[in-house]
Amino acid sequence: MSKALSVEVRDVHKFFTRGGERLDVLNGLSLDVPQQEFLALMGPSGSGKTTLLNLIAGLDTPSSGEIQVAGAVISQMSEAALATWRTRNIGFVFQFYHLLPVLSALENVELPLLLLPLSAKQRREQALNALDIVGLADRVHHRPGQLSGGQQQRVGIARAIVTDPAIIVADEPTGDLDAKSAEAILELLVQLKSSLGKSIVMVTHDPRAAQRADRTLHLDKGRLVESGMLEHA
Amino acid sequence: MKYLSLIFRNISRNRVRSILTALGTMVLVLVVTLVWSVLDFLQKATSEKNANIKAIVTEKWQFPSQMPFSYAGPLSEGGPREKGDYRVKPDDSMTWQFYGGSLVQDPKQRNPLENLFAFAMEPRKIMTMMDDLDDLPKRDPKAAEEFKKVIEKMEQTKNGLIVGKDRLKLLNKTVGDKFKIYSINYKGIDLDFEVVGVVPPGRYDGSVFMRRDYLLDGLDQYERNNKKKHPLAEKTLGLVWLRVPDQPTFQKVAKQITTNPAFSSPAVKVETSSSGIGAFLDAYRDLFWGMRYLLAPAIWVTLSLVISNAISISVRERRLEFAVLKVLGFRPGHILWMVLGEALLLGLSAGLLSAGATWYFVNKVMIGIKFPIAFFPAFFIPIDALWWGVMVGGVAALAGSLLPAWSARTVKVSDVFAKIA
Ligand SMILES: Nc1ncnc2c1ncn2[C@@H]1O[C@H](COP(=O)(O)OP(=O)(O)OP(=O)(O)O)[C@@H](O)[C@H]1O
Ligand SMILES: [Mg+2]
Repeated sequence: MSKALSVEVRDVHKFFTRGGERLDVLNGLSLDVPQQEFLALMGPSGSGKTTLLNLIAGLDTPSSGEIQVAGAVISQMSEAALATWRTRNIGFVFQFYHLLPVLSALENVELPLLLLPLSAKQRREQALNALDIVGLADRVHHRPGQLSGGQQQRVGIARAIVTDPAIIVADEPTGDLDAKSAEAILELLVQLKSSLGKSIVMVTHDPRAAQRADRTLHLDKGRLVESGMLEHA
Repeated sequence: MKYLSLIFRNISRNRVRSILTALGTMVLVLVVTLVWSVLDFLQKATSEKNANIKAIVTEKWQFPSQMPFSYAGPLSEGGPREKGDYRVKPDDSMTWQFYGGSLVQDPKQRNPLENLFAFAMEPRKIMTMMDDLDDLPKRDPKAAEEFKKVIEKMEQTKNGLIVGKDRLKLLNKTVGDKFKIYSINYKGIDLDFEVVGVVPPGRYDGSVFMRRDYLLDGLDQYERNNKKKHPLAEKTLGLVWLRVPDQPTFQKVAKQITTNPAFSSPAVKVETSSSGIGAFLDAYRDLFWGMRYLLAPAIWVTLSLVISNAISISVRERRLEFAVLKVLGFRPGHILWMVLGEALLLGLSAGLLSAGATWYFVNKVMIGIKFPIAFFPAFFIPIDALWWGVMVGGVAALAGSLLPAWSARTVKVSDVFAKIA
């Protein structure tokens, strides 16, 4: 194991072509995330934060450069291989939770486990455990529509950690929440890092959210402009 | 929670749409099932049997056929002339004459409901040669045993009548009743009858059987009384039926008869019952062709479009959801099968339900659909219709959902989220 690096991004370029025009979003970006680090990514809208996050999560591949996550070079994998890899290695937290409305909290959390060779009982136990970690043990049979935004985001986080991935990526996880709920979610993320040893990459627009991270990086026009702010404990 | 339950819940998510789609599927499967049942039935009725063939001998140039009774004996044997010619066994032939009359003497006061129209034949042959009665011992040994007694009774009663149960009710008579019939077609030959029994329920519920020698006696009596032959005396034989074991024998017997100069005035023709029905149906050939090759496929295409429409809408609504599933690690194949699975589950179950309900209703509640065409028995939905229904629904669902499923499969995660970002 290359000591303690969860994510290694090396000279990555990413461009999109829209209507025949080339749009360069990431321009030779490099980035390291050590194990058990909580990293915050900030930057103006359109600066490429989500694009970078998608590349780290294996949802898209770079135009050039190399990305290594959790020990695997993912920049060259096929779509199907990436999907299988994601199940065990990446937990994704969305701004708008994106829970399936027809499923209960428990079933939503169980969803990624369907892809693993587990018995129904094992799935259920693992999902209940994840819901317990996020503090929703008493809401397991509620549908998303019956839960508050903060509670839904907890379900989203439980779903992200249920397969026990080493890395959690979160795209503005508090962007849709009030200050109090946001604070609770950030607290939960810090917990996941310190007690479960997860590495976390979080995109945020909120400086107060970024303050809870170990380190904040700023992205502008596809480049990191400033790195290594304050070190937190 | 399992994969299938996820599929099932996605179907029940938009209940109204799913139910409407299922109903549409059921109606269309119903139509296809009926069309195919009719075609299947006609196919079976007109396809040439290779064994146990019934040949029909009738007058060649005239309908209805009116042959002299002198033809009856030699035709019943297959008209053999030379050594080596095939000889039909006694139980394997029957002759039909038709005697029509009314309970009421005055033609002006006659009510068609009180008329009867009898097959005049040898009693024994009713059970050995009539379609759907010749297999009674196999189908229902008990009923056959009972009917045999009725036939024996008729053999002892020259003026005996065996009547179908519906006809008996119309005539307002019961077994044992005696009455006079005033003939309609054999003018002047009015006969006294006694009802000796009832035909086993089924195809002949409206029919009447009498003895052929009783009709022949009537013709003789007429000649004695009037010092001249009855106008129909030489035209009394309608049809002769012959059972032959196989096609080659049929060909041989047909040749024996048509080349035999004894049957040249009037000339006769020999057909199988299927070719007879076939000739009759020829008039509708275009209609059946259209049903098979235009109507059924058109319905199938419509069905696919109905399903495709519903699935497309649902896929479009759930693009974001598919993207989320992909983020969680679901592979494109998973998504494809999830959408196909929804359509298939819907199509297969609606198809089975529809065909099953049609089968049950037509066969068990209506007890078959009666065909208003001569010779035809009642028409039933074959049990095969169950898998036709499943197949029609399933194939249409598959065809209709292939495109939407593919588009769900190829949802690009970064595109979907780029749009919301
Ligand atoms: N799949 C895509 N196809 C084409 N263009 C894209 C795609 N994804 C992102 N872009 C473009 O790339 C640029 C960066 O987008 P990105 O979503 O990474 O920005 P962001 O920093 O996350 O912004 P925000 O803060 O608004 O979420 C934008 O101009 C966006 O329109
Ligand atoms: Mg973004």
